[in-house]
Amino acid sequence: MLNVFDATSPIARAPAARLTSVLCIGLFPAWAFAVFNAPIDSFQGVIQKILYIHPPLAFGAYLGFICTALFGALYLWKREPRFDHWALSAAEVGVLLCTLMLLTGPIWGKGTWGRWWTWDLRLTLTLLLYFVYVSYLLLRAFSEGSERAARFAALYGILGLVVVPLNRFAIELSGGRALHPANLNPGDDQLGAGMTSPFVLGVLLVFACFAWLLVRRYELCRLREAVLLQEAESEREDAWAT
Amino acid sequence: MNVLRAVLWKDLLIEWRSRERSVAMLVFALLVVVILYLAAPPADTPEARAALPGMLWVAYIFAAVLGLNRAFALELDEDALTGLALAPADRGFIFLGKTLASFVLLLGVQAVTALAFGLAFGVNFAPVALPFAGVAALGALGICVVGTFCSAMAIRTRYREAMLPLLMLPLLLPILLGAVRATDALLNGEALPGLALQLLLVSDGVFTIVCYLGFDAVLDE
Repeated sequence: MLNVFDATSPIARAPAARLTSVLCIGLFPAWAFAVFNAPIDSFQGVIQKILYIHPPLAFGAYLGFICTALFGALYLWKREPRFDHWALSAAEVGVLLCTLMLLTGPIWGKGTWGRWWTWDLRLTLTLLLYFVYVSYLLLRAFSEGSERAARFAALYGILGLVVVPLNRFAIELSGGRALHPANLNPGDDQLGAGMTSPFVLGVLLVFACFAWLLVRRYELCRLREAVLLQEAESEREDAWAT
Repeated sequence: MNVLRAVLWKDLLIEWRSRERSVAMLVFALLVVVILYLAAPPADTPEARAALPGMLWVAYIFAAVLGLNRAFALELDEDALTGLALAPADRGFIFLGKTLASFVLLLGVQAVTALAFGLAFGVNFAPVALPFAGVAALGALGICVVGTFCSAMAIRTRYREAMLPLLMLPLLLPILLGAVRATDALLNGEALPGLALQLLLVSDGVFTIVCYLGFDAVLDE
């Protein structure tokens, strides 16, 4: 059985997988060191350190969902399986990062707001987007035939992204409270002294992990397709022999 | 346009002869109203009254899911779906025909459900009947557009009935929130909120255009 964590496997030998894994291995200790040495927030305490992983996970998740829709659109246009493989890989990685984001957020919320969850604009939008992409993966899992699954998933992925601005408008209209902290803009200097570098390293680390997982998942799709083709070939040969 | 008319007429004629979908949707919607009544008996508090529009739209959406599950299921008999896909016409019009057929059925179910809901929860729809009908129609259109599109995909998956709500419900939030907000304003004797109407109109428009354009690829076998 193919082990994707085995350094000698064909996936691990792919140049892009090597490069991204080196990036992850290099960035992780730097990020951990920067987080450990970052000053403790005078108001929130140590729980503020979730900032160094939670927003980066959100950026990674959104990137995954945008890639899913873009690669889905490319698949519908070109009908080349590689675009579908990229879309599926991006959706799976996006859902994984979104799950981690939805787990880390409530920990910070409980410590700061005193509540695990609130129906805030951004929280609700993200949760709905999460459900859309979980449904996307279910649609793929339950569709028969790889071409049909790819087509349906591409359409649904695009629809899932189209609904985001509508959801935003809808939640604002329903009086969604904006409890969630505002976006961190590079020029605003909202982070305290010594907090910028662990945050930036966190973003870089998540993007590197995103790229690494994406490449490995894509290679897995290609290998799976190659195995299926090989099986079909040998079945055809067996049929000829008998 | 001829294709749209033909598909719409065909679906409505099948429904007129069998009455399967409409009866199932209606009975289900009425059961939901009864269950809501038993689970949350009407109380004369502002909180209880504020929940009523949401409860009504939940009943509508549940009924719609049941009906939309059958929208393409009837095309599986005798492999009629292949015939539809091979028709030398714009497939987008097939989608619009199917959507309008479901829309007509849902409108009828909505009217009867509103009567039952009004009786059960002491809501008087009579003074706002016309604007409420408009809101219900806009909401039903959005539900049917998204539902018909998702139904065409769900019907060709392994877990058809379970797949449709999983696909359509996460997409329906703008429709649901716009419709609930507008219904709430009407039941409180206020004017129709412009933003809620805008949301409904924009959502209906966006979903109709995207689904119309994408439907060609759904039937592309």
